[in-house]
Amino acid sequence: MSLLREAERCLANQNAHVLNAFITPLPRAGQWLDRVREADRRSEQGKPISAVDGRLISIKDNICTRDLPTTCASGILDKFTSPFNATVVDQLEAAGAVIAGKTNLDEFGMGSHSVYSRFGAVKNSRRDGDGQDLSAGGSSGGSAVAVAANQCYAALGTDTGGSVRLPAAYTGTVGFKPSYGLLSRWGVVAYANSLDTVGILGRDTSSVRDVFSILNQHDARDPTNVSSFSRSRILSHLQTPQLAARLTSSPLRIGVPLEYNIKELTPSVRRAWLLSLAHLQEQGHTIHPVSLPTTKHALSAYYVLAPAEASSNLAKYDGVRYGTRAEGPDSDGQPDGYLYASTRGNGFGAEVQRRILLGTFSLSADAMDNYFIQAQRVRRLVQQDFNAVFTATHPLAAADAPETARSGTADVDVIVCPTAPSPPPRLSDVSADSSPLDAYVNDVFTVPASLAGLPAISVPVTVAESEQNPHAAEVAGIQVIGQYGDDELVMKVGELLEGKGLDG
Amino acid sequence: MLRPWPSSGAVRFLYRVNRPFLARPHNTRIPAATRGLQSAPTDRVPLRKQLKQEAKALKAQKKLRKENEETSRQEWELTVGVEIHAQLDTHAKLFSRAPTSTTDTPNSNVALFDLAFPGSQPEFQAATLLPALRAAIALNCQIQPVSRFDRKHYFYQDQPAGYQITQYYEPFARNGYVDLFEYDGIAPEDGDRVRVDIKQVQLEQDTAKSQEYPPSTQLLDFNRVSHPLIEVITMPQIHTPATAAACVRKLQAILQACGAVTTGMELGGLRADVNVSIRRRGEGPGQCQYDGISGLGQRTEIKNLSSFKAVEDAIVAEKNRQIAVLESGGVIEGETRGWTIGSTETRKLRGKEGAVDYRYMPDPDIPPLVIGADLISRLEESLPASPDSLVVQLMGPQYHLSVEDARPLIELDNGARLEYYQDVVDILRSLHPDQDPSTHAALTRMAGNWVLHELGGLLTKADRAWDDKVVPAQALADLIDHLQQKRITGPTAKQVLAAVFDGDRRPVPQLLKEDNLLLRPLLREEYLALAEAAIAQNPQMVDQIRRKNQLGKMGWFVGQMMRTGEKGRVEAPKAEEILRELILGRQ
Repeated sequence: MSLLREAERCLANQNAHVLNAFITPLPRAGQWLDRVREADRRSEQGKPISAVDGRLISIKDNICTRDLPTTCASGILDKFTSPFNATVVDQLEAAGAVIAGKTNLDEFGMGSHSVYSRFGAVKNSRRDGDGQDLSAGGSSGGSAVAVAANQCYAALGTDTGGSVRLPAAYTGTVGFKPSYGLLSRWGVVAYANSLDTVGILGRDTSSVRDVFSILNQHDARDPTNVSSFSRSRILSHLQTPQLAARLTSSPLRIGVPLEYNIKELTPSVRRAWLLSLAHLQEQGHTIHPVSLPTTKHALSAYYVLAPAEASSNLAKYDGVRYGTRAEGPDSDGQPDGYLYASTRGNGFGAEVQRRILLGTFSLSADAMDNYFIQAQRVRRLVQQDFNAVFTATHPLAAADAPETARSGTADVDVIVCPTAPSPPPRLSDVSADSSPLDAYVNDVFTVPASLAGLPAISVPVTVAESEQNPHAAEVAGIQVIGQYGDDELVMKVGELLEGKGLDG
Repeated sequence: MLRPWPSSGAVRFLYRVNRPFLARPHNTRIPAATRGLQSAPTDRVPLRKQLKQEAKALKAQKKLRKENEETSRQEWELTVGVEIHAQLDTHAKLFSRAPTSTTDTPNSNVALFDLAFPGSQPEFQAATLLPALRAAIALNCQIQPVSRFDRKHYFYQDQPAGYQITQYYEPFARNGYVDLFEYDGIAPEDGDRVRVDIKQVQLEQDTAKSQEYPPSTQLLDFNRVSHPLIEVITMPQIHTPATAAACVRKLQAILQACGAVTTGMELGGLRADVNVSIRRRGEGPGQCQYDGISGLGQRTEIKNLSSFKAVEDAIVAEKNRQIAVLESGGVIEGETRGWTIGSTETRKLRGKEGAVDYRYMPDPDIPPLVIGADLISRLEESLPASPDSLVVQLMGPQYHLSVEDARPLIELDNGARLEYYQDVVDILRSLHPDQDPSTHAALTRMAGNWVLHELGGLLTKADRAWDDKVVPAQALADLIDHLQQKRITGPTAKQVLAAVFDGDRRPVPQLLKEDNLLLRPLLREEYLALAEAAIAQNPQMVDQIRRKNQLGKMGWFVGQMMRTGEKGRVEAPKAEEILRELILGRQ
């Protein structure tokens, strides 16, 4: 199929569906058509610029684009167009890709079901047995659904605590969060800088890998981006024979974190996990129980740290220099009044306001020590937990860092666990006015890798019908987590499981 | 009728809100300009009498105030700490490549990050560190090998990100000190030296500049946003208002001398906050502890003082307010107060309950600042001489200046005046390499006088900024040389200086020759003729001098001779000599 036909089909899918995956879809006509035709010509000559030359790639609407608005699904930026492109957008366009539109999300990336959007909730392209609408997951729900519904070739999302992996699990797509700092955040609207990563969604791991290889470059404009020097350190670390062998021949040691077997795990997800492990074992890999004891505090730590950074990052939205201002005088028109009170009150949605308040509290003088500082300590323990179970050492750990106590029982190459504790809930059960705490629980398996900055991928596996679910095969997301820098290994293991129909 | 505002002819209430450095979310507006013109009083008092009365009243008031101050000082101990914020002399902003500027078109030098655009990130400009480090070294600080940046949160429209990036938890320099001497203007009761410890020096961003057009318009100029600043925090170790002012003045002089800052307080490049507490002497120590110094009373902070005088006046006023509160049985609240120039009282800006919680958070985008020892030692080696060592040098055998002349030479024009002075002295020295020490001392003092007062006077009169090319050092040196050699008279020298100042570019020796200004000494006969003519005009006065010995009247005759004689040729001492001979009959 020509690239042009593929693109036109995506466009038709964008128009046909009522999934609300896009805030700004691709226009029917435009310069992009010529760019796809040129890519087709290059393809015929066997000289494509890259693996994504002429392909449509959707961009989550918290990533800046010069030609399309960047709303972050927020009332405060609902008409905002950025004066510049994010580095990742420039990189994709330079590789010949065409921006397929801007996808819907939870406002500023805060949410787990893509329901907190000024532009309405995203709908999963799958429905449950009763034909009810399901959650697409969040916050990159629009990007995941656009991929699942063939509205684009691949999509960029952002993953702060699981925002790419969770929607991938819910929509049956592949969602990859690279090691922190590998992909540029310049032009990515900050939610929680120390956790934010650009993530990639695709229908298979191979397309995700193609996009990753284009974006995995140093960018001096992002001060948290891994320097060229550190990149070569990571590379030479990975080229030591022991580590290099993992990608080629030797059987892998797969870790199973005991603490992840929580009571909230639904039977179908637990079954998918077990069958996935069995599948890997059949292929000659070995399974090892590991302990990540700090996991039970990770979620709480995340919901202290991320809102703290968010309360700081979102302070800039006052409608003074850009963005939408509230009608009429702000703060009752008092001469000494603040210029932002009504603007921020009207512009931000409920969940964003909740997290700003949470973060403002946890950074306040009286709460700082008990919340923000404690949570940072937990974060360090979470990192140490992972370092203790992986065979590979952290390639950027300081040479004089104390060797973390090894658990003794297991030195594993990767960890395999569910992405989410349950299949996608009904949209009607997770509407914007249900308890936010229920939604927070969905991040329990994804948050640890975010806190430690580790690469993690969610791949879909299909579990044949069972006693519990006699009517239909279930799709579940299985997550693979690796040591920092082991992005290739994580994708390789994901590929071993991806799309497998597993049968007990 | 509605008029567009501000309209020409209408009274313009335009004023600038100078809040360049700190969080001031509440009530910081300067009250609208006071009315300038008042109707004339109906009772007419002769002006001379009125002025005399006013001067007398002022003198009495000052004396009374001095006595009161001394009484209260004996009973109460004042403790003051100082914080100053100074704009660093850098090309780029702290976290973007946008150039720094003070005079460019508003909002012309602004990067995406300066406006806090979504998705933009900070890019630390390493070069901004150099002036900051020079300042910290000049203030005898320990430079920290690792320091970090934090976000200080508060909302104000001149603060685009909603936070200022500063160094709260780990500043780049700590534990310095500044020495204040008598000549720095410390209070007499502080002896001849005070050492004030410096707690820390930190790097931070400036805010945007606001201009208010009441009642409802504000203009924002983001050129100043993220201009690099340093904040210098002293320990609360100062006990007199004069010494506090001297401390701020000294800090400014040091920062300027080491090339860390562009402008001083007078141009808004430097601002001071002070914290003030009092404690009754002879009673037990106070309950409060600040920066590790315990036994102090509850302190208040006075923000945004913009002149040395304001520092001193505000501290006096705040001290007296605190004394009055305590003496009437009240309690001092920890609060933030403001000061308006010309006022006699500090005013409350916000109390404890209204205190802003800045929610300091480490900036997650900015890596730690790692400063190598090699950079520090390199800067230490290249640091210019400190003001104190310059004072010592200028008062020493090389220049023989008085402290009154040495200090302005160092402080004026960011060191340019001093450099010019040294050029002039070097030229004079090269003209006469083997002068005896006393002649040399006279010459260097004369040069100091001419650089500061004669040339300075011309600059002031013409309202011109310093420029070492207006009167080239060579020209002034030639002039001084001729004067010292008695080849021209003083008035001629002044006249020639003015001519050069106004653009006469001929070399001074040529100018003197062509304009016939070189002194051709009068013959004794010529002096006698001039003197006799003057005496003939006023025989009564001669009589008075002779009989009543009113020698002061001799001056009139000298003046008369200068006027009637050929311009620039009558030398006053010689004229007087002849007059004495003729009138008093002796030599």
